[in-house]
Amino acid sequence: MSKDRIVEVKNLVKHFGNLVALKNITFSVEKGEIFGLIGPNGAGKTTTLRILATLLLPTAGYVRVLNYDVVKESSKIRPLISYLAEDAGTYRNLTGYEYLSIVARIYFRSKADAEEAVEEAVKISGLGERISDKMKIYSKGMKRRIQIARVLMTKPKLAILDEPTVGLDVFHAQYIRRIIKEYASEENSIILSSHNMLEIERLCSRLALIHSGQIVTQGEPQTLKDEYGAANLEEVFLEVVRLWGK
Amino acid sequence: MGKMRALIEKEVKDLLRDPRIYIGLIIPIIMLPLMGFAISVAMKSAENTATNALTIAFIDYDETDVSGNFISLLSDMGLKTVKLTNESLSRAIEEAKAYGSQTLMIIPKGFGETLLNFGRANVEVYSIIENIGISSAGMQSAVDKVLAASSEILSSMLISKIAPGVNPNVIRNPLNMTRYTVIRNRVMKISPQAIFGQLMMGYGIMVPLILFVLSITVTQIAATATAVENEEKTLETLLTFPVSRYEILMAKLLGSSVIAVLGGAMFTGGFLLYFQGFFGFLGLELGFEELPKVLPSPPPETYVLLTISLILSIFFITSLGVIIGALSSDVRMSSSLLGIIIIPVLVPSLMIMYGDLKTLPLALQVLVYALPTSYPMIMSKEMIVSNIPSEVIYGIPYSAALTLMVVYLTSKLLTPEKLLTLQYKLKLKRVRGKQKPML
Repeated sequence: MSKDRIVEVKNLVKHFGNLVALKNITFSVEKGEIFGLIGPNGAGKTTTLRILATLLLPTAGYVRVLNYDVVKESSKIRPLISYLAEDAGTYRNLTGYEYLSIVARIYFRSKADAEEAVEEAVKISGLGERISDKMKIYSKGMKRRIQIARVLMTKPKLAILDEPTVGLDVFHAQYIRRIIKEYASEENSIILSSHNMLEIERLCSRLALIHSGQIVTQGEPQTLKDEYGAANLEEVFLEVVRLWGK
Repeated sequence: MGKMRALIEKEVKDLLRDPRIYIGLIIPIIMLPLMGFAISVAMKSAENTATNALTIAFIDYDETDVSGNFISLLSDMGLKTVKLTNESLSRAIEEAKAYGSQTLMIIPKGFGETLLNFGRANVEVYSIIENIGISSAGMQSAVDKVLAASSEILSSMLISKIAPGVNPNVIRNPLNMTRYTVIRNRVMKISPQAIFGQLMMGYGIMVPLILFVLSITVTQIAATATAVENEEKTLETLLTFPVSRYEILMAKLLGSSVIAVLGGAMFTGGFLLYFQGFFGFLGLELGFEELPKVLPSPPPETYVLLTISLILSIFFITSLGVIIGALSSDVRMSSSLLGIIIIPVLVPSLMIMYGDLKTLPLALQVLVYALPTSYPMIMSKEMIVSNIPSEVIYGIPYSAALTLMVVYLTSKLLTPEKLLTLQYKLKLKRVRGKQKPML
């Protein structure tokens, strides 16, 4: 695995009993890039991200994150990554500040580092004084902002974001996209999934299109558009699925 | 340690602020004293009613000085007496009721003569029950007390007549018995009835009941805390944090235990206040103050063993709670599962509470000894007689091993692969193949 390769997935297979969720998928994520996984519901995006986040084990295949094996070295991966689940909830009875503070104390040994991370997260969330409210009164957009802040405050080498803007209005979605774009740098990489083709086109440097547990095409957004003669990624997606069906 | 502290803080804060938890904790400390107070007030009011308006209606067929003196004696003792004229019983009862009396006494002819000849004189007493309630019971009890006291006075008068200068109490009760009770070769100056009475009230009911409630509370809290993580979709995120499964589990166990102990303390407080209200009226002791005067304090090692068995028991059932919660998609489901699992686990404790373990059939004994929750119950009963049963000595290492095994299995279950796969399978079962769950 190259030094600049943050994620390397080769021939990944995942079974749930008799159901084959992933069939020999292969892709990689390089340092500093935002990589997108797009596909319909049930295509296998969340399963892929859960394996990268060390939540699920692969049935077969080779998966390395930050040069560590997800099966044998998951405890070395966890401090370096941060995962945002599609439907990640919040602790209703904790305030936003308390939640961030608890997570910071889990990730950082030094009290000063933890406090600095919390202050940074408070800024990222953009919640102002509402950070001291209990999270049960937060709107969906506020909950998502606190989760994004939680993910990024730990300064992960790889942020794994499953549908980061799902269900949000245009203002909140725009705010979160801006934060994601700003976070990706030479040191930090992001892998995200989305149904929103426009979002993927704007954010990602490369993407993989996943359908029925298989990667049907991957590459840079412009390259894919050129390859399929499409005006946007949505048209690419429809064309690929049509060709795949044949 | 910093990570653990943060996780425990999360558990305790989130639980303590959850109305589903704190309402359950507060209710006993408010409701139980209120119940005790209500019962006490009702009983006191009944007693006042009884003593203030205690009337006895009577028909005197004897019409002698002796029967007249007997009626005067009842009047002197605070009873309002009403002489009836109707000779038929049914009419006399109606007349007594009209006077507000709930008791009709008939003194037959020959009453005085029988007494003067030192025979047992007959008296018929009819209790007229108009309603079934505490006041009615209190009134009848008060009449009985007065009649019994008057009988005793008559007896003293007769004894004094036969043997002047002799204490009537000596004639009535010539044996002066000093009762001793021997427990585990220890001789104590107390009747066995007093010990059993106090043990029943104190250690036989109170302590096991508190342990029982504590067990249910701790399991419920752990199950709810974990089920809430599933319901609110926070468990998945928690499992990606750089903490071991043991740390997550231990934080849940400790956090739930802290809340449960707090709940147990509040329940105990509420229960003691309830008993104080209830027994205060009856003039009874709870059994905790008198007993230590005659029974020696249990040796320190019994407390140590009780504490160890209690900690093991709490960890065992809290782990069960975590398993129940982890397998439940929401709190409602965990509450349903809790009843199914916890009742069979706690039934053996009831056997210890109300029965003699050694007289149970062998199969039931095996069941009782198989569960760590049984040992605090056994210990709390046995420590009163300063005894450390051999089954507890062997049972504690066994409980420790079993508890460790359950904790280990629970931590294994908390691995995301197993949990998510198991939850996926449960989901799949629920939709019965009609619709595949989202991946």
